[in-house]
This record gives sequence, structure tokens and C-alpha cells, in this order.
Amino acid sequence: MAAAEGTHLEQISRAVVEGDREATISGVQAALEANIDPHTILQGALIPAMSDVGRLFEQGEYFVPEMLIAARAMKSGLELLKPLMIGADIKPRGRIALGTVQGDLHDIGKNLVGIMLEGAGFEVYDMGTDVPVDRVVEVIKTEQVDLIGLSALLTTTMPMMESTIQSISEAGIRDQVKVMIGGAPITQEYADKIGADGFAPDASQATRLAVELISK
Amino acid sequence: MERGVLFALIPVLDLQHRLSSWVKDEMKPRERVEIALNHEIPDRCPMQISFTPEFAERLSGDLRLKDKSIHNPHGGGNTYELERALGEDMLLTSVGWANSYYMDDKPYVDEWLVGWKIQPYQTPYGTGHYTEIVGHPLADNDAIGSYQAPDPHRPELYSASQQMITEFKDEYWIVGVTVTTIFETAWALRGYEQMMLDMALNPDLAEYILDIPYQYHLVAAKKLVDLGVDMIWIGDDVGTQNRMLISPSMWRQFLKPRMANFISEIKSLNPRLKVAYHTDGNINAIIPELIEIGLDVLNPIQPASMDPEQLKKTYGDQLCFWGTIDEQHTLPFGAPSDVQAEVRQRLETVGRGGGLILSPTHHVQLDTPLDNFWMMVETITNTPYSSL
Repeated sequence: MAAAEGTHLEQISRAVVEGDREATISGVQAALEANIDPHTILQGALIPAMSDVGRLFEQGEYFVPEMLIAARAMKSGLELLKPLMIGADIKPRGRIALGTVQGDLHDIGKNLVGIMLEGAGFEVYDMGTDVPVDRVVEVIKTEQVDLIGLSALLTTTMPMMESTIQSISEAGIRDQVKVMIGGAPITQEYADKIGADGFAPDASQATRLAVELISK
Repeated sequence: MERGVLFALIPVLDLQHRLSSWVKDEMKPRERVEIALNHEIPDRCPMQISFTPEFAERLSGDLRLKDKSIHNPHGGGNTYELERALGEDMLLTSVGWANSYYMDDKPYVDEWLVGWKIQPYQTPYGTGHYTEIVGHPLADNDAIGSYQAPDPHRPELYSASQQMITEFKDEYWIVGVTVTTIFETAWALRGYEQMMLDMALNPDLAEYILDIPYQYHLVAAKKLVDLGVDMIWIGDDVGTQNRMLISPSMWRQFLKPRMANFISEIKSLNPRLKVAYHTDGNINAIIPELIEIGLDVLNPIQPASMDPEQLKKTYGDQLCFWGTIDEQHTLPFGAPSDVQAEVRQRLETVGRGGGLILSPTHHVQLDTPLDNFWMMVETITNTPYSSL
């Protein structure tokens, strides 16, 4: 890697970690002007930066606002790169559909998981909140996803996770996807009980889980 | 069985009589709470329970109560028939934005211009409804400058509180509720993620928005103190399941100074006043600073997030605890024996030497089996401290 390239990538990465959107945009623009390949910017700056953000979150240095501003900066950089990468046949690391289960409107946890997964190179299909069981089945059939991520904040809505997994099985497509779950009242024990493939207690660990599940 | 072991063999007509004798204790409820909050041991641990409207309806049916009004879990305009029938020791009266929860059974816009939708959910005991925030009047930057918050000086806001204080203060410990004090109302106005983005990126704007509910609820709390409440309950959820939502330094920047001033101003009106603070989740990092700014009581201590016994060991001589009965696992999904064991464990640990008011860590939800509910109530009310 040329020294100049390394400097550009470091600047972009630092700007993302600090949640500085303007510096991220100007950094990406400068890198492109210096003829650095968009894919290199993505793999060498944006993705490692979000990985650092995840590490800082796990270490208790970063909290939700810091993750939100880092994601905002990362997305601004990504928007500049996307048009330049069309046709380059770059495959995402995996494709995941995320949703908050039927009856539940709380989406901050799901959104943070989406941020970290995008930051790790996954393509995220956001099903939104209050997602009916049938909608999840339909998404699996039509969106070519590798993973389903289900979120619930409430004890009154978490049983919908079990219903969703049952419906996926009844539709005969359970082997097409891995299902991961999370949310305040969720435990590994509950994940095992309802036949989910994995549980993660926070967005950073959810990303590691997703990587692990798609490599199985 | 829907009525609990105690009532299994009691004819229905005797139920209310039995209930009232069962909760008949030597100590007045307010005395019991006062002693506990003084870090001393009352006859039994004080109890406070709130319910979602559908659970309250189910419970009223179980108790054959005549009150058919819709229960407000924060205590705005309640009749308190249910709370008193159960033998609760604190009665809650609420003024402020939190009263916008469960305000209607169809979509509505409250007087703060926050939009709400009705969100149904299914449980083994029927369909429940949450009211969920969907419209944020300050989402658009252009709306912020011209926004007019409601007026907290309107006398009619306080008439229900005044009435219940007159009626019940002799017997019960009265809690003036101004929860959703600063951050929660602010994010309802602005949007959850946007409010946090503002705090990170545009602190002046964040301060401006946080001040809107802060000023409103401070006026309301002062008025409630003037009316004679024994305790003010403030609240803002700044904890997630296993960590704080915002960093301790961000909390120190935006919320701690406002909370400190809030507590100081209301205590200056009545030095005997107690102040309780509600936040869900894990907030271990800021507990010493909550004590420093004059907090007396922490609520609700979700046991899956923070270890109540450890908190008692660390802060028990400076802080009282209100809550601790798990609403995420034990009450909805445990067996009655699990509930009984948890209540007893709390009494023996957090309750040691007083300083504890037992309560579920949230409004009891419709997914809670009545057997579990009754086991909780029975174990609290039938376990004198002298038996531990």
C-alpha cells in the first residue's frame, strides 16, 4: 500500500470513528481524487472503522449516540462509493433481513444491529417494526436472504419470535436461512428453546454472530 | 387456578371481606413506607404495584371490584380502589407528559402534539394494547423555534391530585409523579435517535429541547409538593439491558445538572420530601452521582440488569430501593414458587435493615399469570420482617 493511500484511508477511518460526517465525505472525495479504488476505500477504511466502533462499544467507551453518529458518517462515505462500485461485481458478505416482531414497535436495537452489520459489509434488508409472521416468510422466499434477525423489547411480544420460526418451518424454508434473535428480555436459553440459530446481547456481538452463522 | 392459593376455598362473596382482613396490619401504610425510607424496619416490607389497563381489568374482575374506570399505570386520575384492595402502601398521582400513555383506545395526538398509535399484542390471557409514540412534533428543525409547550400552571391539572391527597394522605404515602421528566419527553418531541444525534452533534439545540419538559415538570413537581405529597418520583430511562444508553459523560453534561437543580428546588420547598428516580436498565456507572445530587430512592432495579443485592451492599446506607421483582422472566414466565423465592430473597437481602419498597420492575403486564401475581402479593403482605 502506498504511503499516500494509507494516509487517506486512515483519515477516513478516523473521521468515521469520530462520527465526523463532513470529514468523512471530504476524506472519501480526496481519496477518490487520488485514484484510490472505491473497493479499497470501503474495505480499507469504512469497514475497519465500523469494526473499531464496535470494539469501542464493547469496551464501554462508546454508547448509542456515538454509534449513531459514526454510522451516519459511514453511510455518507458509502453513498459516494456506491455509484462507482456498480458493475464491479462486489458481493456483500451476506444478506440479512432484520425486523422487530409483530406487536412491537421498538426499533433502536434492530437499527443498531443494522448499522453494525452494514458496517461489517453485510447487505441489510430492513423489514421495519411490527413485522407480521407471514411477511418474514415472504421475505425469505423473495429476497434471497441468508439470515433473519428478529428483535423484541417486550415480554408480551417475544413469543412472536417462536411463532415466526414455526411459520418459517411450516413453509418448508427453514433450511434456507439462519435465524438470530435479540432484545432486552431475550436469553440464550430462550433462543435454544424456540429453535433460533443464535442470540446476541448487543449490536456488536450480533455482527460476530452473523459472520459465524453464515460461515456454517 | 386464577385466584391464588389463598382464595381457592373461599366463597366468592367472602372474597372482599377476606381480602380486607388479610391486609389488615397494625401499621398504617404511610407509616410503613416512612419507616422503610428511614432505613429502619417496619412490620412488613412496603408494597407498590401498577398495572397495564388490561391487567387491571382482569384483576378487578378477579376481585369482583365495581370500579370500571380505565386504570392509568402512572396514577393520573385513578380511583385507587384496586391499589387499596391489594394492600398497597404508596398511592401515585401523576401530572405531566407521562399521562399521555394509555390516554385513548384509538390513535391520538396529545396536548404536547406527540402522536400516538394503538399497538395490539396477544397473550395467553387475551389481547392487550400499548399506546406507542409515532409522531414527534419537533422532528423538523423549523418547528422547534415556534413550539409552545402546554402550560403547567393550569389549576385543573392538579385537581385530581389535590382530591386524592385530601382523601388518602392520612393513611397512605403519597407519591407525586413527574416521570418522563427531561430526556424521555424531549425525545418524544424530537424523535429518539434524532435527540441522541443532537446531544452528540448539536449540544445547544439539545439543551434547548431538554429544557422544555424540564421546566414543565419542575413547575408540576413544585405544585405537587405544595399540595402535600410525601415523595416526588422523577424518571428518564437512560439504561439499556446491560449498559447505559448514553455515556456517563453525556449524562453529566445534559441530565445531571438539571436533575440536581430539580431535586434541590423541590427539596427546598419541603426538607422532609423524598425524591425517587426511575430508570430502566443498567445505570451502575452513575449511582454514586445520583446519591451526590440528593436522590433518596432508586427505581426499579431490574434484576436482570443490575444485581439488587450488590447495590444494597454498596449503597444501602445512602440509598433506598423501590422495585426489584423481575418483570422480564419471573413474573410472566416463572412458576409461583419462583415468585415466592424471589420475593423472599429480596426481603432477606435488599430488605435487610429496611430501605426497600417491593414492586414489580414495570407495570404488571397482561402476560402475567394471576397465580404469580397473587403469590407476589401474598408473600409480600404475609411475611413480617420479624419472621425473616
